[in-house]
Amino acid sequence: MGDLALAEILDFLAAPFAASLILTGIHAYLGVHVVERGVIFVDLSLAQIAALGATIAILLPMSGGDPHAPSVYWVSLVFTFIGAAIFSMIRGKQARIPQEAIIGITYAVASAAAILAMSKSTSEGEHLKHMLVGNIIAVSWAEVGKTAVLYGVVGVFHYVFRKQFLTISMNHGRDDATGLNVRLWDFLFYASFGFVVTSSVAIAGVLLVFCYLIVPSVAAMLFADSIGKRLAIGWTMGTVVSALGVYLSLVLDLPTGATIVCTFGLVLILMAIVRVLIPRLAPRPV
Amino acid sequence: MRKFIPTAVLLGAMLGSANAFAAMKVVTTTQDLESIVREIGGDKVTVESLAKGYQDPHFVEAKPSFIFKLHSADLLVAVGRELEIGWLPPLISQSRNSKIQPGNPGYLDASLTADILDIPTGTITRAMGDVHPQGNPHYWLDPANGRRIAQAVQARLAQLSPGDAAYFAQRYADFDRRLAESQKRWKDAMAPYKGLKVVTYHRSWPNFAAAFGLDVIGYVEPKPGIPPSPGHTLALQQEMKRQNVKIVLVEPYFDSKTPTAIGRDTGAKVLVMPPSVGGVPAITDYFKLFDYGINLLVSAIKESGPR
Repeated sequence: MGDLALAEILDFLAAPFAASLILTGIHAYLGVHVVERGVIFVDLSLAQIAALGATIAILLPMSGGDPHAPSVYWVSLVFTFIGAAIFSMIRGKQARIPQEAIIGITYAVASAAAILAMSKSTSEGEHLKHMLVGNIIAVSWAEVGKTAVLYGVVGVFHYVFRKQFLTISMNHGRDDATGLNVRLWDFLFYASFGFVVTSSVAIAGVLLVFCYLIVPSVAAMLFADSIGKRLAIGWTMGTVVSALGVYLSLVLDLPTGATIVCTFGLVLILMAIVRVLIPRLAPRPV
Repeated sequence: MRKFIPTAVLLGAMLGSANAFAAMKVVTTTQDLESIVREIGGDKVTVESLAKGYQDPHFVEAKPSFIFKLHSADLLVAVGRELEIGWLPPLISQSRNSKIQPGNPGYLDASLTADILDIPTGTITRAMGDVHPQGNPHYWLDPANGRRIAQAVQARLAQLSPGDAAYFAQRYADFDRRLAESQKRWKDAMAPYKGLKVVTYHRSWPNFAAAFGLDVIGYVEPKPGIPPSPGHTLALQQEMKRQNVKIVLVEPYFDSKTPTAIGRDTGAKVLVMPPSVGGVPAITDYFKLFDYGINLLVSAIKESGPR
């Protein structure tokens, strides 16, 4: 960093930090649903399906082989929705097969299919891998703004229909009890979720997005039961970890994304220790 | 630029600041370029590489310091030919440094004056398999291209700092002379093995092969970036046996499992050969890069007996 003033350094880190706050905001919320539903790896799976879509789009003549062509984005979004449709179909009656199994299979097959598609591509496979490896340190304010608007829309959508979304997530596996069209609301959940994950992965990469989704939610469950409290704890943890991770990556000069991921792990361990040492912090049964 | 320099000198003199006379800050993407810039720039420049030689230059994890280095750079020298396309462009645009934006004098694409191989001609179709539209980006592995890079660096440094032009020209002449001597030594060492057939993991070596008379008959990767498939590996092994290929070159950042299996099956020797300065600690500059590689090759050939 040499001769850069502190103010300048902070200025450079402002956009990545803002991006990590946006990620915290939407993912800590979606994470509560994902953990309630027990579909922990659904984001990896949907991100991989989106990458497969993008790979196939690059093979289609309309993209001209350009990974940044608009058609690539749209095809990958369509694939995400197909994935969402699959995940919303597979619950309920076939309860003997765990949903995680289907999600895992989807992940493996989508990853492998992307490799097969790449081997038919005229451009080098190297370029395609970048779709799953976001680079949060190089995020621009334009991307931050665009993402904020997109996630704002998804957030409002989820807020307006919070009753339905929460009901199907909290009563996961007990479809008849809810009186809702579970298939429809499931599809809307996975579709909006896939939409968010696809955009997040492009900014932050698969590992980081997974952490933003799962860790705050799990950490919050150590201390609280009600959705409101869990969200508050999750958001606080996500914000603190983002700041700490960006700071550590700066002073130790380590890759930013991976540093935030490891910080998530460390903070979760610390929170678990606190919970063990002070038993009265445990959530009281309702 | 011409207007800027006197003003800066004046300002520096007025403020009594050493800044206007400080060494020019050069950032390179790879250590090969770093070594060449150091040869030409001497103590008139400070030079740092973003990627380390042991990293795959196609994939580099960006660290916060990359952005800061780019922010304060006077000149960025890149390999080009899309080698850094996966990680460099967003860093350049986030550096908030107008000097090093592509198209400006502070950005040098070292490939522009180099001799580039594997450039597809005519229309690119699927049937041609994988083709890199701008040609093979591993061009620095021919010392003749090292000279061309040095020439481009010399011209650009002189443009950015005209007062030191004579210094850079003299350093280039010295580099050129030493490179010519070494080139002769390397060629002599490889001369007895002209036409030697080898297999490489990635397509990193066409320029090296052309410079030193190797014949690359196949690749462990079916396509750049695609992991080896059994069918391809079997076909490659058969071809290696048919043509009696005894050497497989692997870049240090690739998994050596498949090459080792190929070596077992065909009796070929698997050599881990760094394609960049810094690939192993012993390779500290552009000259040692070839010293190391050629040494490795020659002793392997001697060991595996006459072909």
